Amino acid sequence: MFRIIQKSLKTGQVTGQYPAPTQPQPDVSDAVREKASVFGRSLTIREVDTGSCNGCEMEMNALMNPVYDAERFGIHIAASPRHADALVVTGPVTVNMERALKDVHAATPDPKLVIALGDCACDCGMFKGSYAVTGPVERHIPVDVKITGCPPRPSEILDALLKLQGRKP
Amino acid sequence: MVGMKDAVSGIQETFGDKIQRVELVRDIPVLSIAKTDLPAVALHIHSAPSLQGTLSLQWAADLRPRLAAYRIYYLFTLDGGAWLILQTDLQGDDRLFPSITPRIQAAKWYEREIRDLFGLVAAGHPDLRRLVRHEHWPKGTHPLKKDFPWNYIMGRQDGEYRFRHIEGEGVFEVPVGPIHAGIIEPGHFRFSVAGEPIMMLEVRHFWKHRGIEKLFENFGLMEGVPLAEKVSGDTAFGHSLCYGQAVESLLGMEIPLRARYLRSLFLELERLHNHIGDVGAICNDAAYSVALAHCGRMKERIMQLNDALTGSRFLRGLNRVGGLSMDLSEDQLNTVVLQINAVEQDFAELSRIIFNNASLTDRLETTGILKERTARDHGVMGVVGRASDIDRDIRRDRPFAAYDRLRFKVPLYRYGDVRARMRVRIDEVGESIDLIRQVRAAMTPGPVTVPVVAAATPGDWALSAVEGWRGEILYFVMAGDDGKIHRCKVRDPSFVIWPAIQFAVLGNIIPDFPLINKSFNLSYAGTDL
Repeated sequence: MFRIIQKSLKTGQVTGQYPAPTQPQPDVSDAVREKASVFGRSLTIREVDTGSCNGCEMEMNALMNPVYDAERFGIHIAASPRHADALVVTGPVTVNMERALKDVHAATPDPKLVIALGDCACDCGMFKGSYAVTGPVERHIPVDVKITGCPPRPSEILDALLKLQGRKP
Repeated sequence: MVGMKDAVSGIQETFGDKIQRVELVRDIPVLSIAKTDLPAVALHIHSAPSLQGTLSLQWAADLRPRLAAYRIYYLFTLDGGAWLILQTDLQGDDRLFPSITPRIQAAKWYEREIRDLFGLVAAGHPDLRRLVRHEHWPKGTHPLKKDFPWNYIMGRQDGEYRFRHIEGEGVFEVPVGPIHAGIIEPGHFRFSVAGEPIMMLEVRHFWKHRGIEKLFENFGLMEGVPLAEKVSGDTAFGHSLCYGQAVESLLGMEIPLRARYLRSLFLELERLHNHIGDVGAICNDAAYSVALAHCGRMKERIMQLNDALTGSRFLRGLNRVGGLSMDLSEDQLNTVVLQINAVEQDFAELSRIIFNNASLTDRLETTGILKERTARDHGVMGVVGRASDIDRDIRRDRPFAAYDRLRFKVPLYRYGDVRARMRVRIDEVGESIDLIRQVRAAMTPGPVTVPVVAAATPGDWALSAVEGWRGEILYFVMAGDDGKIHRCKVRDPSFVIWPAIQFAVLGNIIPDFPLINKSFNLSYAGTDL
């Protein structure tokens, strides 16, 4: 117990030690920001994977590590869509996940936001046209924010989320 | 350890002219056998004490229109790591082949997969439910047949997947997924429990099936690397390396030494950040979140190093057919060693603290035991295998990249529980760091890529293996007309290990399942393709 506390003290603070995002993300429209304002300064996210390569999941997980620490901006990850303010959807929506995506959207209480994360979710990426893919996400459910990149870096995801929250212009 | 020649001549002696033809394809013996004789030969290779072959891969290829046949291949890894392939042809309208699953458990999912993707039926298979095709796929859709268009728009039919049931007083079922807790990929788990202990688990996957193997057939041999990087994002370098090696061996290319060293270096970097992340995640699932925070910080450090070196946190865009797309300067190599040394000390300190934590050890020990026998029957290898006394590592058994010039130990544990799997990872972190230092010391200047000169003959194929951080990645690439890919079979180790997890959880309680699942940490994307 003391040794791990000692180690944490020795390590010091690492939050914020990451390079600034380089890839510019499209601005969040005023209408969407207005819609997001109802959640105030907290945002609870349910992440839904509809066929990504799991790169986007790794970066979402990285967002919660001590370096990015999205919790400090009131961004939480929920285990159930019923607890979520926003859905973060990754992947090109496979034929096998189409119904699950619609179900999860219906199960999320209103008002809600949908964020398409990564190139696959935004426009199917390399999987466009495949017999097993029915996407992109906006074909099935209305999308409010698109975060592009393959996969987008955690700093870029965080940047987009801060814009959505109105913490950043 | 069996010599390849002895093995083949022994099989020929036993079966006489049932072995129709023996040829060597890039040093791999390929035995052609009529389909009726196949189960007997396969069983012999599997169970003869001198061979002890593990079925490592079974796959099919649609050879029409060149030949009016489908061909089914069986890859066996013999004791000691040598490869042996059996092949059998289904001529004309023949759609039936004999199942080997009743005697060789490892074939179970492969034969179901072949049925779904090609419409070829394994006669005598004990479980012919759909695997890849979920029930809403219309009857007769078999996407890897050559007459199935890659951009086909599928209809929908009604249907129900029949889970296996246990009936009795107090037995109930707990369905989990496909969308389940946390930031994780989709999969469905059906537990049958009486009280707390799990009596049966059925895993139902393939929610993420994206049609990768079909998409490969749209590409030329030189263009497949970006798609291989997206098979399983966390193993982007391992998969692209394995694909690249398959094509290089198909075209008979010699890769320059510097590129081979760099490939080993990047593969070890990938192993490092994944293993460190996994150790943290296992601790977190035992409610030890401070360890997760420390591991997350170290993992992030390596991923930022990847980004600074190559412009990609996942080492994407590096591999190409014929070598690497970039070289590292002396300064960059020194930075790598500097950073790695810092992580080594940091991680060693942390792992000492982790192992001194009695309440954590209590959760990890004897939880989720995968018995050596079960692991062997399923053909399990990689991290999970080495925790269950399966002594296999492609880096040592079939050296690729620069591993024939590097020294390392392969950690091996017997207990097969969560703690053993964590120990294998912790030991491998140390080995990887040492390997990177060896690479740094041994590297000499030189080119990192060779130009492509040859073209592949249609119908020619190559097989390649890479020890990714999870285990053996296998690629089978067959050349088609005009430099296109005719067939690309991708196998991530996860595909093999998922069925085994169903046995590792038996007798454990459901609240321990996330912990057990995390200690396996298998890829859903790499399984579903």
